[in-house]
Amino acid sequence: MQTDLNYQPLEQVVERIKTWARVNSPWAIHYNSGSCNGCDIELLTTITPHYDLERFGVKLQGSPRHADILLVTGAVSLQSRDRLVRIYNQMPEPKFVVAIGACATSGGVFRGCYSVLNGVDKLLPVDAYIPGCPPRPEAIIYGVVQLLKNIQNPNGHHPEKPLVITDVPPQEESSC
Amino acid sequence: MDKQEKFIVPIGPQHPALKEPGHFEFTVDGEVVTSATARLGYVHRGIEKAVENRNWTQAMYMLERICGICSHVHATAYCLGVEKLAGVEAPPRAQAIRVLIAELERIHSHMLWWGVAAHEGGFDILFMYTWRDRETVMELLEMISGNRVHYSANLIGGVKFDIDQKQADAIRKGIDYLEERTRHYLEIITTDETFLGRTRNIGVMTSDQAKSLGAVGPTARASDVHRDVRIDHPYAGYDRFPVQIVTEKEGDLEARFIVRLKELFESYRLIREVLDNLPDSELTVKVPRKIPAGQVISRVEAPRGELFYYIESNGSDQPERIKVRTPTLPNWGTVLSTAVGLKLADMPMLLVGIDPCFSCNDRLVYVKDQNQSLTEKTWSWDDLRNHGIERYK
Amino acid sequence: MLDNYQSLEYARELLKPWVLSESTPAPERLDVELSAENLVAAVTALHQAGWGYLSAITGIDRPSSDPEQEGRIEVMYHFCWGGVVTTLRVFVPYSNPVIGTVCIEIPSASLYEREMIELYGVQFPGTPSTDHLLLPDDWPADVFPMRKSFTGFDSPDAD
Repeated sequence: MQTDLNYQPLEQVVERIKTWARVNSPWAIHYNSGSCNGCDIELLTTITPHYDLERFGVKLQGSPRHADILLVTGAVSLQSRDRLVRIYNQMPEPKFVVAIGACATSGGVFRGCYSVLNGVDKLLPVDAYIPGCPPRPEAIIYGVVQLLKNIQNPNGHHPEKPLVITDVPPQEESSC
Repeated sequence: MDKQEKFIVPIGPQHPALKEPGHFEFTVDGEVVTSATARLGYVHRGIEKAVENRNWTQAMYMLERICGICSHVHATAYCLGVEKLAGVEAPPRAQAIRVLIAELERIHSHMLWWGVAAHEGGFDILFMYTWRDRETVMELLEMISGNRVHYSANLIGGVKFDIDQKQADAIRKGIDYLEERTRHYLEIITTDETFLGRTRNIGVMTSDQAKSLGAVGPTARASDVHRDVRIDHPYAGYDRFPVQIVTEKEGDLEARFIVRLKELFESYRLIREVLDNLPDSELTVKVPRKIPAGQVISRVEAPRGELFYYIESNGSDQPERIKVRTPTLPNWGTVLSTAVGLKLADMPMLLVGIDPCFSCNDRLVYVKDQNQSLTEKTWSWDDLRNHGIERYK
Repeated sequence: MLDNYQSLEYARELLKPWVLSESTPAPERLDVELSAENLVAAVTALHQAGWGYLSAITGIDRPSSDPEQEGRIEVMYHFCWGGVVTTLRVFVPYSNPVIGTVCIEIPSASLYEREMIELYGVQFPGTPSTDHLLLPDDWPADVFPMRKSFTGFDSPDAD
């Protein structure tokens, strides 16, 4: 793990504890910006016992003020954009945005429609893209865990480049 | 003192202090609901406009994604309509497979709804069980189609994949398991006191009201209205594999719950019958790229009720007009009417009773004191849900 | 319970006073053209007789390629009863896109009328609500997305 020489040792430790705490039990909030529900179904499936996202410490809850990670589905319809921005603004720093599904990534099949914005990154900085229509629960879990691993550097909290999940290794689910 | 309070129930997660479009508005006098209105549209993407600029095949991929839970019926309604315009008929095996997948989708949808209903009523463990059971049907669909959601079985002219013997056996096994689980759920719904307290004789809609308000699907059938497009106007393979109607007479919330569970048994029966009698034929028929000019109406029975498509062709390779009327829309009308006179605590179950679109589950409630002070109280949907659970203890 | 043929005959009977033209595009469908002024009377007749239920209202923009001729909006009211569908068609010109509201007779039609108002610019005087159903509040008032003339906004968000 890289360390920044400008940090005082105590601050380094505090940062690492804060990072560990954030990485090891981040709270997430889910926002549907106008999706067909396909991605939402698969996301909610990750909290059922069979997949159990919570064993990675990720808690899905409803308050932006307590959230570290914003999980967005949908192509961002015009009616939902203001709410999406408001929720993002209510989240305390550091915060991370994950675009789940083809629609949140680029608009999906709805790209170019008059009532959508063609994806979350037209509005907010996105840290990870999980493509799929919809992505499987395994892919969502893998994507979120990859994001968590990347948060583990104390300098730039955001991954240097946004993560794009292009493939989910078959054994990854059990090793995570 | 006449204290009127206004509850605004937005659809979709909201900031507590701001009134937003995309919500329900209930006005309450004490605990009793005195009026209700709705503002929808936060999922509006402009699909009907967009399909006018796509070819017939691209349009289908878009229409499938109107809803993740009803993807197959949308594609089926569309393909049946376009096939009619083109003057072709999909081969018998394809039509049978369309029925098979439609019934599997119905099972998926009802199981999902049942889990949500359990959650709204405070039965979170039941919710977990039903969603775990739902995994069974999703795995079956993935086995056949390659995807758990958006199976994309349809082509204009037929279906994309076949069912082989091994898959048929796996489906039978899965259905056997689900049938046993459904029996168990039906027993809970009809005997558990807490559940009955929240559903029996509540939200009653008479047969006449249901007819007049234009209710469709299980919501209508629970009020003894014999409305089911699979029976009224058999499409795809439903003429070869007919459905028996499932209705209840009471028209209350309990009836709406029972109809959906009992319908599952019909679906299980139908699936077995299709598997035992799959006709031998091709899977597709050739369809021209340009569809002859004309207009057609295509109606199918989605899990939530009648899905209505109006399709017009101008003779080119792009549609002139595709109008989609989803089943939830007329059923919203029934909620707004039957809400009046009910208690605020009944609202969660009333809404779940029409099986609304899943994405409407995260909601916040605003309480506005209409008459006296201008204080605004904020409830989360969880609060409203808990209010219901507490009151019925 | 009437069979398909009897149902359609019954609808024909009920609608006779106002029919401008009619056709049967399919064995289970009756298509009837009316003038906008008579639409409410026809809908009331069907509804009071218990002829099925209003299943959908479809709008189609029919612009004119002839500069002398004004474009118009076609509005169809689809009633379903069992396996048959009766469609009432009216045409209203761009300059006067007005149809009577059917909400007094069928309150749940309000959602369909709201959709027609915001997407096509048709007006239904007396309809209980003109709030937007689908479009955001800040959508420009005189832009009707389902008209052919609307081809999207020039926006920096679009790629």
